[in-house]
Amino acid sequence: MADQTFRLPDLGEGLTEAQLVAWRVQEGAHVDVNAPLCDVETAKAVVVIPSPWAGTVQKLHARPGDSVAVGAPLVTIAAQGAPASAEPAAEAAPSTLVGYGPGGPEAGIRRRARVAPSAAVEPSTDVRAAPFVRQMAKEKGVDLAQVTGSGPGGRITKADVDSAAAPAAAASAPSTDGERRISVVGIRKAIARQMVRSVSTIPQFTEFAIFDATNLMAAREQRKASGRPMTPLPYFIAGVVKAVRAYPLMNSSWDESRDEIIVKQPINVGVAVNTSQGLLVPVLRGADKLELEAIAEQSAHLVDGARAGTLPPGQMSGGTITVTNVGASGPVETGTPIINPPECCVVAFGAIKPRPMVVNGQVLARSGAWISISVDHRIVDGALATEFLTALVAELESIRA
Amino acid sequence: MEPVTMAKAINLSLRDALAGDDDVLVFGEDVGTLGGVFRITDGLQKAFGSDRVFDTPLAESAIIGICIGLALRGFKPVPEIQFDGFIYPAFDQIVSHVAKYRNRTGVSMPITIRVPFGGRIGAVEHHSESPEAYFTHTAGLKVVAPSTPGDAYALLQSAIADPDPVIFFEPKARYYLKEEIDTAKEVPIGQARVARGGSGVTVIAYGPTVGIALDAAKAAEKENISLEVIDLRSLSPLDMPTILASLQKTHRAIVVHEAPVFGGFGGEIVARIADDGFDLLEAPIARIGGMDTPYPPARYEKLYLPDVDRILEAADLALAYG
Amino acid sequence: MADVVRVVAADDPVRPLFSPAGELTADARGTLGLSPDELRDLYHKMVWIRRTDQEALNLQRQGELGLWGPYQGQEAIHVGTVAALRPTDWIFPSYREFGMGMCRGIDPAEMLTLFRGLSHGPWDPRRYHFAPLVIPVASQVPHAVGMAMGSRFKHGDDVVLSTFGDGATSKGDWHEAMNFAGVFRAPVVFLCQNNRWAISVPLAKQTAGSIAERAQGYGFPGIRIDGNDVLAVLAAVRAAAARARQGDGPYLIEAMTYRMGPHTTSDDPTRYRSETDLERWNVKDPIPRYREWLQGQGLIDEASLAAINREVETAVEATRNRLKSAPVPAAGEAIFGRVYQHPPDSFLEERQEFESSLESN
Repeated sequence: MADQTFRLPDLGEGLTEAQLVAWRVQEGAHVDVNAPLCDVETAKAVVVIPSPWAGTVQKLHARPGDSVAVGAPLVTIAAQGAPASAEPAAEAAPSTLVGYGPGGPEAGIRRRARVAPSAAVEPSTDVRAAPFVRQMAKEKGVDLAQVTGSGPGGRITKADVDSAAAPAAAASAPSTDGERRISVVGIRKAIARQMVRSVSTIPQFTEFAIFDATNLMAAREQRKASGRPMTPLPYFIAGVVKAVRAYPLMNSSWDESRDEIIVKQPINVGVAVNTSQGLLVPVLRGADKLELEAIAEQSAHLVDGARAGTLPPGQMSGGTITVTNVGASGPVETGTPIINPPECCVVAFGAIKPRPMVVNGQVLARSGAWISISVDHRIVDGALATEFLTALVAELESIRA
Repeated sequence: MEPVTMAKAINLSLRDALAGDDDVLVFGEDVGTLGGVFRITDGLQKAFGSDRVFDTPLAESAIIGICIGLALRGFKPVPEIQFDGFIYPAFDQIVSHVAKYRNRTGVSMPITIRVPFGGRIGAVEHHSESPEAYFTHTAGLKVVAPSTPGDAYALLQSAIADPDPVIFFEPKARYYLKEEIDTAKEVPIGQARVARGGSGVTVIAYGPTVGIALDAAKAAEKENISLEVIDLRSLSPLDMPTILASLQKTHRAIVVHEAPVFGGFGGEIVARIADDGFDLLEAPIARIGGMDTPYPPARYEKLYLPDVDRILEAADLALAYG
Repeated sequence: MADVVRVVAADDPVRPLFSPAGELTADARGTLGLSPDELRDLYHKMVWIRRTDQEALNLQRQGELGLWGPYQGQEAIHVGTVAALRPTDWIFPSYREFGMGMCRGIDPAEMLTLFRGLSHGPWDPRRYHFAPLVIPVASQVPHAVGMAMGSRFKHGDDVVLSTFGDGATSKGDWHEAMNFAGVFRAPVVFLCQNNRWAISVPLAKQTAGSIAERAQGYGFPGIRIDGNDVLAVLAAVRAAAARARQGDGPYLIEAMTYRMGPHTTSDDPTRYRSETDLERWNVKDPIPRYREWLQGQGLIDEASLAAINREVETAVEATRNRLKSAPVPAAGEAIFGRVYQHPPDSFLEERQEFESSLESN
């Protein structure tokens, strides 16, 4: 006669406890298999629990009204006649074969702990590099913390690691006749690729004009006086947007694969920014939806972000027309800008300077600047480009304070 | 062999399967007398009789439900769901039974469910959907989507011969694409193909988007950008070795499908690459697909669907990462 | 309208056996042609499956089963149906037809491993021509129709029995399957066990019309019978199966019965039905009714009743012991083993990873 303890099973798919309502047996009483032991009330129903064994009730582990956890001892029975081997697991483990209840150990099975990744974790510095680049750096023994990144936002690129791994002398070694070789990586490489793509795939022509910036400068003076200064750039962007509205074909791209011209709906103005890394073109999205103030605010944010290297790549793509400044200072008046593919047009503004202009038949000193536009000749012919440029000049000259 | 359309290639494949195995049955809505709304089953009832190729009542759940009983009896049912958007009434039968019956009983379910899918055909609502992710998410199923007539022929042969259930998605926008096919060529389930070799960025596509990806690769070539296009052919199981081999070269990937990106099958591809190819990556992986909206009215579908420009932009972005 | 199949009396071999109230007529009862042994065996089987049902309930309360769905009150249908069919006729059950499986020869201890959380389907359906228990209500009915269509295509002489409850008749799958069966003239007998309760929802809230009469709309006959009379069930299923076997198509039997127990061990019927309802059906309990009939016919005496009880007790105790010593399959095999016949490599890798994670360290 071995004592066996019957533990409260999970009586209904995920229950965790039951309340003992009443015992139907007393300690010392004999019970048969399936004889009613007690009534318990679960969250779902009141049920009668039948005895799993025949024998003498040794101990009742709970009183009516007690809350019994699933897996907790309910009753101990001195089993009669049945050899211990008939119920081998009865004492050892809670009889909650299907339900779980609180606490009970998972018998027999233990999942092996996951092996930590073998790769050493990079220290959490400000190093920004793709997984592949980190892996390469590790293989080549390059300490990324010592490498200056040339990628977007200062990311360390594969090429940066390559040059860092090469002996310093080899990286930019003066050759015997005084040459120096600079490895072309990152933004320099991206610019090169984009410019080759432009010049080799787009037949482009350039037109020039001078506009009278006297009104624009007066407007700026007035703003300055009222403590709200503004650079010329927002005026340029706003002027371009208005001229593009009148000539939507300037806001398009050439789809070689389908022999189609895609006329873009939103006007997303790329703003060429000279940075320490090279030329970047952040994009002012939906410029056609913005008032001058918003253009000023957002373009300033884009320019600052581009210079600081904090703009996400998404803010440097998707432009539909580009604006650039040539000769913001110094003697340069204008230049021939190169289209930023797949766009149709790029507009370059020269420096606003005092210059002699003929107004009403008289030579007067006025503020003026050059504008040049380069245009995709597949899409736009000279006549249309001239109309666009004329409209742009008219826009800029009619600025009111 | 004369060039044949994908529609004809599938017809030939069904015909060869019916001729090669008396247990193959083809049935569904309008597949008998009419030959299917896309004429995929054209002439099959005439050739094999109405006990082997037959019209059913208009009831997708029962069309799939009877497959269980037929398969238990030893048949190899090849039901057709008329359009992607009409598979949902059969969803319970597919998920609760077709996918799980073998696990429940040990009896194999050699069922091939053919589903025309995808858009770009100017259709009304419910006729342009891409429901593949519901099924790739279901254990017990295999999910394939050919993009060429030759692959459609061969993959359907593999699907029907497979003892496990296969959801066979047919890109209906490519039904009338023609090529010469070699009916002796085998395409096992689970093998992707490199549709175009390249070195710059890997573009992963299947079914209807393979053509777009190839167009993008051609356009990119003119700009000296090299795209490698992988045609998955099989979504579940997914051929990771082919994807990873490509990433060894390119370190950049773009996934293109018509289904909405959010929760789409592309997410699984990206996650698997992150798991198995973490150290190969040089740039974030772009997913190009439908927006998180219901499929739009046909007039707007070209704006919704992946196109060459979106792939090229994603390629530019990926390449901008040094 | 010429195409509509009109169900005519001559096409219905079941109806003449029954009174308008669905009782098996005395004439029909007299012409069943069962031997005394066969008649006693029906009783023996009913007692055996009821006692096994009770034991399963006990085993659940003792923590040996996770869940149990009792079928007490429906034994006449379980036993009568199987007795009416050939062993090669397929049966597609829902989830409460445990007793039918036992009558088909499946070891109850093996079947119970399903409720012990060891398997989703412990037997090979082809061995017993008994499909797995199916839990999503009515979803198994189209499977039965597919099997019956297959029988027709293969010119087999077997028929298929599809069984379901009253709740199932609310589902779209039920309608689609009935319609397919009518259109394809499939050799299938639909057996609705109308036990008046779909968990807690009574028949009146399940359907406003007659279930049996719906058969007309699908182009085949239907009848409502007393499902607590084992011989009535046997007679109806046998006649409907014979009709299907000779190529005359489907038949719908609505067998009126009562679920005397809870829906499952997780249910509490006192929350939705009264004792008086239960008492009304206690009177119609199929086992005492049939015992009294056998005694009235002089086909069974106290000694043979006692012998049956002894045999059943022994069988049930053996079932209990076999269940408690049922082997626990290895986790890898239980989880992965039967999903695919041709498992993909990635699937096998996941299995291997899982199995090696189980190795203790």
